[in-house]
Amino acid sequence: MSRYFARKIAIYLLTFFVAVTIDFAIPRLMPGDPIDGLIARFQADPTASEELHGYFTESFGLDQPLWEQYLTFWRGLLQGDLGPSIAYIGSSVSELIWAALPYTLALLVPAIVLSYIAGNRVGALAARRKSLDNTVLPAAYILSATPYMWLALVLAYVLAFKLGWFPVSGAYDFSLQPAWTWEFVRSFLSHWFLPFLTLFLVAFGGWAIGMRNLIIYELEADYANYLRSLGAPGRLVRRYAYGNAVLPQMTGLALALGAVVAGALVTEIVFGYPGIGSLILTAIQNRDYFLLQGIFLLIIVGVLIANFIVDIAYVIVDPRTRTGLQGS
Amino acid sequence: MKSSRRTRVVGAFAVIVAIAAFASLTAGGAGAGEQSPFALPRGDTLYTSGKQWGPYTNFNPLRPDYNTGLVGLLYETLFRYDPLKDKFLPWLATSGTWQGKNFVVTMRKGVSWNDGKPMTAADVKFTFETGKLAGSQYSTMWKTGLKKITTRGNVVTFHFGGVPNYQEWDSNMYSIPIVPRHVWSKYSAKEITAGNTSQRSKQVGTGPFTYGAGANSSQTLQWNRRNGWWATKAFGMKLPMRYIVDIHNTSNTASLQNFLQNKIDLSNNFFPGIEKQVGGKIGTYYTKAPFMLSANTAWLIPNTKKAPLSDKNFRRALAMSINIAQIVKAGYGNIVAKANPTGLAPQWSKWVDQAQVKKLGFKYNVAGAKSLLAANGYRDTNGDGYVENKDGSQIDLRIIVPNGWSDWMTAIGIIANSTKAAGIKLTPAFPDFNALVEERNSGKFDLVINNDKAFGSTPYVYYDYLFRLPVADQQTSVNFSRFTSAGSRPWALTTKMNKIKSTDVVRAKRVHSQIQRYILTELPAIPLWYNGMWAQWNKSYWTNFPTASSKGLQNTPSTWNGYLNMTGIDALADLKKTSK
Repeated sequence: MSRYFARKIAIYLLTFFVAVTIDFAIPRLMPGDPIDGLIARFQADPTASEELHGYFTESFGLDQPLWEQYLTFWRGLLQGDLGPSIAYIGSSVSELIWAALPYTLALLVPAIVLSYIAGNRVGALAARRKSLDNTVLPAAYILSATPYMWLALVLAYVLAFKLGWFPVSGAYDFSLQPAWTWEFVRSFLSHWFLPFLTLFLVAFGGWAIGMRNLIIYELEADYANYLRSLGAPGRLVRRYAYGNAVLPQMTGLALALGAVVAGALVTEIVFGYPGIGSLILTAIQNRDYFLLQGIFLLIIVGVLIANFIVDIAYVIVDPRTRTGLQGS
Repeated sequence: MKSSRRTRVVGAFAVIVAIAAFASLTAGGAGAGEQSPFALPRGDTLYTSGKQWGPYTNFNPLRPDYNTGLVGLLYETLFRYDPLKDKFLPWLATSGTWQGKNFVVTMRKGVSWNDGKPMTAADVKFTFETGKLAGSQYSTMWKTGLKKITTRGNVVTFHFGGVPNYQEWDSNMYSIPIVPRHVWSKYSAKEITAGNTSQRSKQVGTGPFTYGAGANSSQTLQWNRRNGWWATKAFGMKLPMRYIVDIHNTSNTASLQNFLQNKIDLSNNFFPGIEKQVGGKIGTYYTKAPFMLSANTAWLIPNTKKAPLSDKNFRRALAMSINIAQIVKAGYGNIVAKANPTGLAPQWSKWVDQAQVKKLGFKYNVAGAKSLLAANGYRDTNGDGYVENKDGSQIDLRIIVPNGWSDWMTAIGIIANSTKAAGIKLTPAFPDFNALVEERNSGKFDLVINNDKAFGSTPYVYYDYLFRLPVADQQTSVNFSRFTSAGSRPWALTTKMNKIKSTDVVRAKRVHSQIQRYILTELPAIPLWYNGMWAQWNKSYWTNFPTASSKGLQNTPSTWNGYLNMTGIDALADLKKTSK
């Protein structure tokens, strides 16, 4: 068991190191200089621009050689300092991420968990009811193949703009500021619903299809036939089938996380939702190396931790892994 | 049973995390500190949009990318400038006159900062002296003649050595916001020139509004009306709205939907097709084409350091081959107007030598473009329908605009299509903003569209934009064409222009005409159309917006930076509540 985890942790650390290095390199490979863009946005007087250019380049440490910037990045990282933001001059990257993260988590966590639960349930149901299979399955196929961006636009147009049931954009009403009041909570929820629904629907489709296929496979398996021939009730057989079918789905969850996070990013942009996705867009548009690094780092760490949790959960849920571990 | 219990556990966990996220969002994260628990009353709030694309981070009025409304609502200038009537209007100053080489400003009495302290001549002196700091936006005045500033009572005297740059000085009078010395003297030089000055308690201005909420957010910025604004006593001016909330733009589409749903009152976004909606609850400055006032000229900038764009005859043929009328009609639905061949704004027409324009200005003429190309040795030698360079090499010029600027993306498509008829091959491309800036500033581009210079009190700004010398490795805001082929004469004339008072009409006109001759014959840049001062309003909650048809309401309906200190503030003061 401990050897299993030691190996896993070593792999995760290596992945982390490589990912962080790529994370450092990618923003710097984009064409365009962040300081030029910054000053172009100022529309600065020509005599002032030169002065400002030198000042900003130096204050962001961009005048140092790349290897030194890389070391500075690691040093800062290990001390929990992600550096200053270029796009949002005056704010630190950690500050910005902390402000945006709650919005993204409020979308992501319920969307992932609820779609997983609902998708698996509905998929399992579809596997044994022909009528459900004929209706839910095609719908699920369409949903899972829908790009997040497109679904978001359709929902925004129909439910928000045409029918006016939900607001078009933002995280709360323009007349409010965040506060612990019912008014704000209500406004927050009504703004939250459409982006949540977008993420939920696409992911839901995927889980439903997967579960339906797995259940059909399990119900045809030898142990199911054997149980049935022993006269076990259908409910019992299905319960065993479900237990076995949920295992690959769990691995799927770990794999799907990256896609859902990416989906959340584009969905946020469509709905003007002030989470990490909107932040990443600003960061890219402004060549904000530090903010991009910080956000990617957050995503890397998030996905790695989620995978690690799934790894652990797998050991708990699947007895075969446990015996396998003991055997080795 | 077991597995369902497990999912229930996971479900409960999810709910807990969601609640936790929500709690942290309200308690610490996003809304830190600014509790305004009640929704603003709709009828007392003016919602604006269209200016802010980045988050509301910059509260430094001396850095030109400041937050919406900062100058105008919070900080104020010595004068306002009315671009529609070409008039300077007293504001914090009651008068300003040249006495020899000195400019003497009399300050208004009874103006106070929103922290209760009186505004004095010393604040003006302090503000203008920040121009001495390295990196200041206003450093030019100190490098080109301004020697010292003295104060006596409520009189500020600016002392110049040599002939002052009158034209530039005029612009300073309505664009430099006066900041309070008692707050700002504690800031470091870097904070003043490049910082954010974002501390809430330090938003001390003389204007009609104070900071409400929204610093650093990327959703809204709220301004609260204050009591005791000096202009109420001085001019009987009163702002009818208790709150102004500016809405951050995520996309023009989202803004349009909010606008049509009555959530935005004054929108300064670009909404293609808005001309079809005018009438009823939606209004614009003119009720027919071009619907919008003009804000600046969109120029096609050639890189004059690269062949064949280095040849003025080729540039002229290029200009003649562009069907600008089609861009205006098909690209913009007639909400913009075709530019004068000098590129000068309609309000500057009194400075335009029309006879000269008639004689030398380029016109859309494909046949003429073709023969001009042929006469100068540009021929289609390989029969592909496009002309080649004089040495026989192929011409394929890249024309760029920033990705996402949809009207310009359409425009360069039309341009490339129309130059084809004359045999000039252009290939449109859409690098993103920063990549474009790098290409443009370093001189790697072929052709780029730019409209950085807004219309103001003087065409000098445009001449400076076209002709400023010397050309450096990086051209960050002027002379993107790197135009030097006509020698130093155009730039010498431009600096001469700067030193002529606008009241010296005869002399000014002569020099204007000389400079315009260079624009018309050398084409350092090709003026295409006047980009609109995009403004449309939804009259559901507020009415009495600016309009061309009523004399008292001819003001600039814009919240873009630099417009409230024109007559944008008058436009806001004129608004009336509807009964809703």
